[in-house]
Amino acid sequence: MSLKILARNLFKTYRDGGRQVPVLGGIDLEVAAGEMVAVVGPSGSGKSTLLHLLGGLDRPDPEPLGEVILGDQSLSQLGDGALAAFRNRTLGFVFQFHQLLPDFTALENVMLPGRIAGHEPAEVHGAARKLLQEVGLEDRLEHFPNELSGGERQRVALCRALALEPPILLADEPTGNLDPSSGEKVLELLEALRRRRGTTVVLVTHNPDVARRCAKLYTLDRGVLHASPP
Amino acid sequence: MSSSRLLLRPWPFPVLLALRYLRSTRKDAFVNFLSKVAALGIGVGVAALILVLAALAGLHDRLLGQILAGTPHLEVLLPPRADSVKARESCSTVPGVREAQRIVAGQGWVLNDGVPQALKLIGFEGRLPSSFPDASHRQEGFYLPVDLAARWGLSPGDRAEVVSPRPGLTPLGPQPRVRFLKITGTFQSYASETVQRAALPLATAERLLGRSGRRIYVTGGRLEDAEGLKADLQSVLPEGSQVRTWKDLNRSLYFVLGMERTLLVVAVGLILLVAALALVVDLGLIIASKRREIGMLGTMGATPGTLRRTFLYLGSLLAFFGLALGLTVGVVGAWALDRYEVLTVPGQVMFVDHIPFLIRPVDLALVLVLTVVLVLAAAGYSGHRAASLQPVEALRQ
Repeated sequence: MSLKILARNLFKTYRDGGRQVPVLGGIDLEVAAGEMVAVVGPSGSGKSTLLHLLGGLDRPDPEPLGEVILGDQSLSQLGDGALAAFRNRTLGFVFQFHQLLPDFTALENVMLPGRIAGHEPAEVHGAARKLLQEVGLEDRLEHFPNELSGGERQRVALCRALALEPPILLADEPTGNLDPSSGEKVLELLEALRRRRGTTVVLVTHNPDVARRCAKLYTLDRGVLHASPP
Repeated sequence: MSSSRLLLRPWPFPVLLALRYLRSTRKDAFVNFLSKVAALGIGVGVAALILVLAALAGLHDRLLGQILAGTPHLEVLLPPRADSVKARESCSTVPGVREAQRIVAGQGWVLNDGVPQALKLIGFEGRLPSSFPDASHRQEGFYLPVDLAARWGLSPGDRAEVVSPRPGLTPLGPQPRVRFLKITGTFQSYASETVQRAALPLATAERLLGRSGRRIYVTGGRLEDAEGLKADLQSVLPEGSQVRTWKDLNRSLYFVLGMERTLLVVAVGLILLVAALALVVDLGLIIASKRREIGMLGTMGATPGTLRRTFLYLGSLLAFFGLALGLTVGVVGAWALDRYEVLTVPGQVMFVDHIPFLIRPVDLALVLVLTVVLVLAAAGYSGHRAASLQPVEALRQ
């Protein structure tokens, strides 16, 4: 299943002591269902903030009012609990730093979204195992994150993001912390999984080579989003 | 067992997460130390509360046992002109009353070679009640406490001078009423008695003390029935009669014992409060060290409620070990101290020769409820802090 992403008039300002720091200045973005788009821009341009707003991890400024609509659901209409449940069903996140839970093995990390959703343990276990086998980690199932290489951790993080087959995947510099070979492997996997499942992907990066793999490219500069030629 | 088995268990997700975090607390030396301090503090607090309450219950049980043995189930104070014989008969007709006995009570002295000893003089109609150990149900007569008789070298058959403060008019003016009475026997007095008693025949007591101190001692089936009998007796007695139960008669003692118990529970309960604060600090440290993970769980869809329950369960699990330890030490310790009479006290001075320990279910329930409330408050507060972390804030750290 795929979902389209629609962001309208997103503003975001942070407070730094008494100072107001504008980060996003009226973002409009539409990503068609099943499409993979890249957002590039220099460090500090607001790429991660945009991704957080699209994923409902943060809320846009109330004035002027903007909104994020995923499929038919406006995120502003959801309370904290409902938003968390919606994230669980609809969104997968991959970050630059793997963000695996160190107390859980690779297999357990991939099982977490399913257990949070309340799915049958055996079913979750089988799906996680299959996913890790698909990305070549069948020998690493019982390893803890500190026993895995950087590339392996990121592959586990990708499996975890896709464990519940979410219609939308948001990736924040997924290869930013990997050597070129490991990064390439992760990107290939991401593309293969997306093609097979029709997942809508927004990929934030400052690496032009990574961005070029996407159907559409946007540049975020000083809080304003511009469509760029691919 | 493979590590991944935990997530295969069909338990709620917060329970699984709390169990895994419980294991991970052992990896951080400081968190591990603080967890042990919190659990040990709860254990010490629980054990101390159980031991203190058991010692108090044991002492109170003995003290009240002795005092109540010398107290009637109910006492009826009659108005000045009431017919006490008729009133006693009325009392006997009330269902549940096993015995009604007329008495006259008042203060007086017994003299021996001119040395006075203040006593509570109680005149009984008929045989002595069970509140006079070693002499109960013996015939009407003059009975003295055995220790007083021994001190003065008096034995049954000797005569003693009994003086009443109620003056009698003589040609020489008002004089105290004095009677020489033959000692019928002795009875065992309790060390807990603050005022010693002497038993007299009712007619003699009325002559010495007058009729103003007339009462009726009523005995029911059980002590607990006294409150029910009180209202029934009141309805058959002449107007102006006062009916007091054994509780009314010892109200100040009950108040003092209750106050003592409350103050000790509060004082010893402070150990539990400090342990609960240690638990808050411990959970705070765990939350701070797992900020990023909590944020990541949020991105995966863990709701604030899930996170709140996780830390509530984790705090409860940490406290459970302390509670189990405290319960074991407290219960076994109280049993052993009582069984082997470890804590001895001078029996001549006190009313016991060792500190008795009595574990009552109501005391155990009180300790459990107090501990559970404090632990839930501490763990609940920590859970609230974890739940209020915004995923994006946690991820930024």
